[in-house]
Amino acid sequence: MTNAHGHATRALTGDPAASLGLMAGWRRRALTFGAVFTILAIVLVVLAEVMEHDKFLHLLTSWLMGAMLCWGFSLGGLALLMVQYCSGGKWGLLIRRPLEAMSRTLWVSALMFLPILIFMKKIYLWARYSNPTDVAQALERGLIDKAQAHALNWKHPMLSPASVWVQIVICFVIWFGYMFLMNRWSLQRDADPQPNVPFWQKRFENISGFGIVVYSLTLTALVIDLVMSTNITWFSTMYGLAYLVAQGYAVLALSVITVVSLSKAEPMKTILRTTEQHDLGKLMFAFVMLNIYLNFSQFLIIWSGNSPEEISWYLDRIRGHWGVIFTFDFIFHWLIPFSLLLSRDIKRNKRRIVMVGMWMVFARCWDMFLLIEPNFSPRNLHFSIGILEYIAVPGAMISFWVVAYIGQLGKRPLVQTNDPHLAEILEAEHAHA
Amino acid sequence: MPFPEGVYGLLAEFDSATSLTAAAAASYKDGWRRLDCYTPYPCEEAAEAIGFHRNYVPLLTLVGGLMGCVAMFLLETWINIWAYPLNIAGRPYYSWPAFVVPAYEWTILWAGLTAAFGMLAMCGLPAPYHPLFNAPNFRTGATSDKFFLCLEARDPKFSLVESRAFLEAMHPVSIVEVEY
Repeated sequence: MTNAHGHATRALTGDPAASLGLMAGWRRRALTFGAVFTILAIVLVVLAEVMEHDKFLHLLTSWLMGAMLCWGFSLGGLALLMVQYCSGGKWGLLIRRPLEAMSRTLWVSALMFLPILIFMKKIYLWARYSNPTDVAQALERGLIDKAQAHALNWKHPMLSPASVWVQIVICFVIWFGYMFLMNRWSLQRDADPQPNVPFWQKRFENISGFGIVVYSLTLTALVIDLVMSTNITWFSTMYGLAYLVAQGYAVLALSVITVVSLSKAEPMKTILRTTEQHDLGKLMFAFVMLNIYLNFSQFLIIWSGNSPEEISWYLDRIRGHWGVIFTFDFIFHWLIPFSLLLSRDIKRNKRRIVMVGMWMVFARCWDMFLLIEPNFSPRNLHFSIGILEYIAVPGAMISFWVVAYIGQLGKRPLVQTNDPHLAEILEAEHAHA
Repeated sequence: MPFPEGVYGLLAEFDSATSLTAAAAASYKDGWRRLDCYTPYPCEEAAEAIGFHRNYVPLLTLVGGLMGCVAMFLLETWINIWAYPLNIAGRPYYSWPAFVVPAYEWTILWAGLTAAFGMLAMCGLPAPYHPLFNAPNFRTGATSDKFFLCLEARDPKFSLVESRAFLEAMHPVSIVEVEY
């Protein structure tokens, strides 16, 4: 077959059920992992209660880590979906359905936030001392210091139980709205008897362009409420943006893992060409650079400013054994993926790019641990059973999230057919080394 | 060094990148190694057809970038510790976080420059003289709409008669014997 340009084209043939078989295997594996991690988590929580009188603090903080990671995948999937509609490009068509599947798991992360909101008093100072009288009493009893008391009163309009509930409900209503529309239109576009390319492109571009702005604002609100505020005195204006990029980092890695692993079977076997895989690898590289750029900038600005109210956040993360975790974070999060993704061969090799993607997801988990836990044990990192919960609890949550994700992924054909990029991606590729 | 004389090679002209690539692949398969393709725009298929799978530009770029990084970092260290130590807000002289940004800039700068100039050097540029420009159709067509394959006389397989017959079998628009 040839198209108008005289290039040889390929066709979407083969049995799509093969992909479903692959997915069923992954689902089983994720369920197994989830079960193992759950048992481990229960054992650790019981041990921590009995031996360390942890009062479920680490269960909640590690639950927060797991919830933030899963929410990162689902909302980040929605955001990258919008980005690819605005930017266009064949790479976008390739990961569109996986991103849609990620966005449809938003309800899972919404459920995961419930325990945090219900037990917020255990984690957040602003929930424990939620009015000026309580703050004054706590200050008098020496439960908080002056700086914390000041910050609690000053930040009260944003950080109080009622305000945070309202913010999170509004955020999720907005995200569910976008998720619903984008997923519905995507199916309608495929069902359209006419291609209507300009109509659909404009429609998706219009919702996505504004949606990206709304996403960055709502994301900033949620991460300030739930993560940044675990240290009530600290603040950084780059936090939202840095978090946004880190979210994109993990989502892109997961999309690449998904499409490359799916390319063992039709239709991804035909659709995934080395050229687009290479493009996705370059995009991963860009996210690795942007991520270190923002994180280092935040560090450099705070270091240059030399202000005691800002530097404490970094001191909490470099003193004692935290320094080891911090150094490894730099190595895991930037040095290793950066060095690997420099190579053209690794970006073009299916098995290797999947391994880099998995590494990046792991690095994101490591980074999340460093964002959360030092706020609860600032002086030094001491080994405890509670710390081990940071492996088991998020491990179980991510495994069950993956089950939901794969379930959603199997619900739709893996490739959108009503898109002009499909014809381009079906052209035979150039000769390769 | 004596100036080379005689035949540089046989230059076959094609009308499309596809026919050029086919001819180049056939020649490579036939055992030709001293051959080159000339196209008006970058044409990866043709390069791959004659065995150009990779080049040293990425390695050069990496080395250039690392050199730039190390050079600037050392320069800043030298200035701040030995040459012109300044007390800036009581920070230590060796304040590496502040050195990162210029070191990074120099990494990019050196990587970019070595990539550009390394590419030119490995292409054999600048070349004030190249025998192929002796062929009139090459002069007029190589940068607009013609695709050329040159079998060079340096190749041990080269023979004026047999090589011309070999090229003719691929139905080029023309075959020109190019003199040094």
